[in-house]
Amino acid sequence: MVLEDRGGDGFEPKILIFACNWCSYAGADLAGVSRLQMPPNSRVIRVMCSARVRPEFVITALSQGLDGVLILGCHPGDCHYSEGNYLTRRRGLFLKNLLEYMGIEPERFQVRWVSASEGAKFADIVEEVTGQLKGLCPNRPPGHSE
Amino acid sequence: MPKTRVGVFVCHCGNNIAGVVRVPEVVEYARGLPNVVHVEDNLYACSEEGLSAIKEQIAEQNLNRVVVASCTPRTHEPLFKAACEEAGLNKYLFEFVNIREHCSWIHMHDPARATEKAKELVKMGVAKACYLEPQEELESEVFPAALVIGGGVAGMTAALNLGRQGIQVHLVEREQELGGLVRNVRTLFPTEQDTEELLEPLVEQLKSHPQITTYLGGEVENVDGFIGDFDVTIATDRQTKELKVGTVIVATGAHELKPTGFYGYSRLPNVVTQLEFEERFKQEGADIPRNVVMINCVGARIPERTYCGRFCCTTAIKNAIWLKEQDPEANVYVLQRDVMAYGVDIEKFYRRSMELGVRFVRYDIENPPQIMGEERAEAVKAYHQLMGREVVLPADLVVLTTPLVPREDNERLSKMLKVPLGSEGFFLEAHVKLRPIEFATDGVYVCGSARYPSNIPESVSQAYAAAAKAAIPIRDGLVRVQAITAFCDEGTCTACGNCVQVCPFGAIELQEGRFGTTARVNVAQCKGCGCCVAACPSGALQQRGFDDRQLFSMICALAEEMTSGFGG
Amino acid sequence: MSNRSVLVIGGGIAGIQASIDLANMGFQVCLVESTPSIGGRMAQLDKTFPTNDCSMCILAPKMIECGGHEKVHLLTYSEVVEVQGEAGDFKVTVRRKPRYIDLAKCTGCGECVEKCPRRVPDEFNMGLEKRKAVYLPFPQAVPRKMTIDAEACLYLIKGRCRVCEETCQAGAIEFGQEEELLDLQVGAIVMATGFDPYDPAPLTEYGYGELENVITGLEYERLICASGPTGGNLQRPSDGKVPQLIAFIQCVGSRDVNYKPYCSSVCCMHATKEAILANEHYPELESFIFYTDMRAVGKQFQEYIIRAREEYNVSHIRSRPGKITVDEESGNPIVWYDETMFSEAGDPVRRVTSMEVDLVVLCQALVPHGVHREMVEKLGLELDESGFLAIPDKLIRPVDTTVLGIFACGFCQSPQDIPDSVVQASAAAARVAELLTPQE
Repeated sequence: MVLEDRGGDGFEPKILIFACNWCSYAGADLAGVSRLQMPPNSRVIRVMCSARVRPEFVITALSQGLDGVLILGCHPGDCHYSEGNYLTRRRGLFLKNLLEYMGIEPERFQVRWVSASEGAKFADIVEEVTGQLKGLCPNRPPGHSE
Repeated sequence: MPKTRVGVFVCHCGNNIAGVVRVPEVVEYARGLPNVVHVEDNLYACSEEGLSAIKEQIAEQNLNRVVVASCTPRTHEPLFKAACEEAGLNKYLFEFVNIREHCSWIHMHDPARATEKAKELVKMGVAKACYLEPQEELESEVFPAALVIGGGVAGMTAALNLGRQGIQVHLVEREQELGGLVRNVRTLFPTEQDTEELLEPLVEQLKSHPQITTYLGGEVENVDGFIGDFDVTIATDRQTKELKVGTVIVATGAHELKPTGFYGYSRLPNVVTQLEFEERFKQEGADIPRNVVMINCVGARIPERTYCGRFCCTTAIKNAIWLKEQDPEANVYVLQRDVMAYGVDIEKFYRRSMELGVRFVRYDIENPPQIMGEERAEAVKAYHQLMGREVVLPADLVVLTTPLVPREDNERLSKMLKVPLGSEGFFLEAHVKLRPIEFATDGVYVCGSARYPSNIPESVSQAYAAAAKAAIPIRDGLVRVQAITAFCDEGTCTACGNCVQVCPFGAIELQEGRFGTTARVNVAQCKGCGCCVAACPSGALQQRGFDDRQLFSMICALAEEMTSGFGG
Repeated sequence: MSNRSVLVIGGGIAGIQASIDLANMGFQVCLVESTPSIGGRMAQLDKTFPTNDCSMCILAPKMIECGGHEKVHLLTYSEVVEVQGEAGDFKVTVRRKPRYIDLAKCTGCGECVEKCPRRVPDEFNMGLEKRKAVYLPFPQAVPRKMTIDAEACLYLIKGRCRVCEETCQAGAIEFGQEEELLDLQVGAIVMATGFDPYDPAPLTEYGYGELENVITGLEYERLICASGPTGGNLQRPSDGKVPQLIAFIQCVGSRDVNYKPYCSSVCCMHATKEAILANEHYPELESFIFYTDMRAVGKQFQEYIIRAREEYNVSHIRSRPGKITVDEESGNPIVWYDETMFSEAGDPVRRVTSMEVDLVVLCQALVPHGVHREMVEKLGLELDESGFLAIPDKLIRPVDTTVLGIFACGFCQSPQDIPDSVVQASAAAARVAELLTPQE
């Protein structure tokens, strides 16, 4: 992949979001209830806790051509299962380092905290990450057919 | 293996979804998905009509998976699941897809792309649904008895309430007498009764209640098991008893801090704590001292012990009033750093004490009072913050107001019951706001000063609350666990132990079995977070309803749509 | 049948908790709530001390659990009108006020709200915002059903409009609906009617109602809340400016022989929390809390106060300000007070001084909810001299009222915070269970 090879006009990144049932999924719901508009690039998968997300999910998603993966969880200290999000945070850091080492842009994997009342924050994150990923080239890993 | 037959029901939600997402297109698209045999749309899937339609199709089309694409699962999922059950389909074969809060409502100006997104979300939902398996909710029997550890006011209240609900109770008290901390108090606030008047009837009722067995001079030596099924070992000096209970209440209280090193305590004979004051002076024939200086917040609200003892101000006020009532000429000073007379009664009491002539002197932690005198305390020198100068208060008696501190035994108990202690050493509840007397570990509850210094009405309320919580599983007879728990495929497990370490609830143990040492999940304790699954390197651990195959299938379903990535 | 049923009056956190516990213990529960949704005051809070949990995040699951419990029957927008009988066998009449919505048909989709032309002050947002005549009180309402406010609706007042009826595809609008009287038989009653804020207008020295930038604690709570009228931007009323300096005045109407002599218990922590939130939103912002005694007596409360001082630019001044004036040009309130404490010997002269701030928050007294006074008569209950439900034996029966079979939990019986209310709610459930278990 050549760095200058931007997708050009019309490139719309596809983003996978893992959201935990108790906080971030509810925050996403609130964004909906509040009719906060955002780019339609993301798809949410609900898990009970952000700590359910194993690194292989992220790696699979990116290696199959999804442009970005977000893990959203409760703010540290607020996890419904007390410690889950601490695990997420630690795994997230490790995974970020690994992905960067593999040459994957840091914007493509992020861990963020969204509480159930932060509808606006969810919308902002979707907006922000969509913008970041648009500025990168489409994620077409080596060997991926077009 | 019956062929997977998926039914997809796409909701209009009036105009909420249909006004943005082109529902007929989504319906058409869903028809082409693998394993889908029936697709229909409905104006309001959650209405009587909508639910009936789903039930009908389950029967007519022999559906063995149902996917509903409408609003958020957080509100209506139980409704749809119940409908599936009614139609004879296991409710864990149902999958919900959110195309309203997560689609039509947030992409109102882009119907084309909202429709594409809705299609993909349905595709992901169908992919997961194909891997869903029927689940039975675990029902675990609850042994109909409760253990109460501690026979103070809190423990006795909890035990009596449970007994009167018809539940068998085992009450274990370390001392030879019931009553706990209150036994050392002489008079009560705000009634000014003798504590005997409060304790005696309680003890009588407790001892005579047919459902309650009391073990005096007893210790809980061991507790094994989990909610509904605890094996308890109680030792008294005469015997060791093994019994089974369904729930456990911790009511072990706390004890008064003896402030050695503060203000000449234990060195000077006329420097005492509030409880010692009560023991020595609140009895027939005792000489009431003329000049009494009380010092509040001794050993509390200091860097080494930051918490506030909550009701020690109340105690000081109570004893100050008592002194003035015994001798209106007495000079009673209370040195304080905020008077915690919260609420209605305590504030009223505080006002009364001032009306009786008790004087409150505000001091600062930077400038603590000093005791003057060699063999005995003779006066207290203090910097009076509100007057801006030093005062010297003559003292025949100095009373130190100290907080309750946790019992040393708390650590042993906490390990035995698998419940945590907070940073101060008191028991740490599941959630400080909404679950103040429960633990993260199910089936164990805490009340009274074992949790945090509490006055009598508060301890008693907490005891009633703990009794309510402890009674619920027993009255129900069963503990039901939502079938989103983890389970271990023992043939694949390598016994690495990651899961055991990572589980926030201690629900996993390594045990000997058919395949050697493997991890086993106690479903009754599992909360379904999935932390362990993500930590399992071999994939032996999976979470029902959120297993790896299901989640991978969603990821792959989504990624399959990636062609050139242009105009996504 | 009747002594397996319990009536809970009041759908705030205490009523919700009592209902859940009672239902889990096997009782049928009727939860009567006068507003259209359960949730109470806790739903109006942004965060809760000392954990600074988002209030709605921890409340909503409980609301859903309560509303969805098979043994709980919600009667929202309803009131108790009559109670007869005795413990074990109360006969209660409940009036269901007409919502003009067919609850069986309404799906809570909200299309009617969008089309309704009529706006009135929104109670949930303390009047800082407007809502429609047909409305959902807040997004997480349980039950998620609309209500038409008869005092605001153009059709019900003037016979015009009916746009909602045209819009509703489920046919749920029912203008012909009338109030319903329901008769219930219950074995026990739990009071959980909560509190109201005390209107600080009579304390004219503080200028509430006259000075725009003098607001109450609950109004502040709505302003700082992400789901409130300003989306969590702390914009002061006069000019929308974000304050850089806030003064919190404690004990407004509390601990005051002229108004309420008691201590409302929660305001010291409440003010500290609000000051912390302000600084979290705006790191340059400073707050001063004017207090008499800092009553932080609960678990982790002292540590919270210390953190506020050390990390969030919160300072404490021990003083009860005498008055608040205003700088006419800027709209800045000026707080007049005397410092009561001397930090060094040698300066014992009390000076009256003033502090010009951008916003003043009055931490007002909290009083037991008004409506319950009428109900109290119907139930034959007694009030104490401060208006709280009287508890005759506080030590051993802290949730028993003067009437056997009627229990009281939460603020309606004494000033207390959320954990205490939740404990008392469960305690009331335990007492009900005891009462309704036949004793040999």
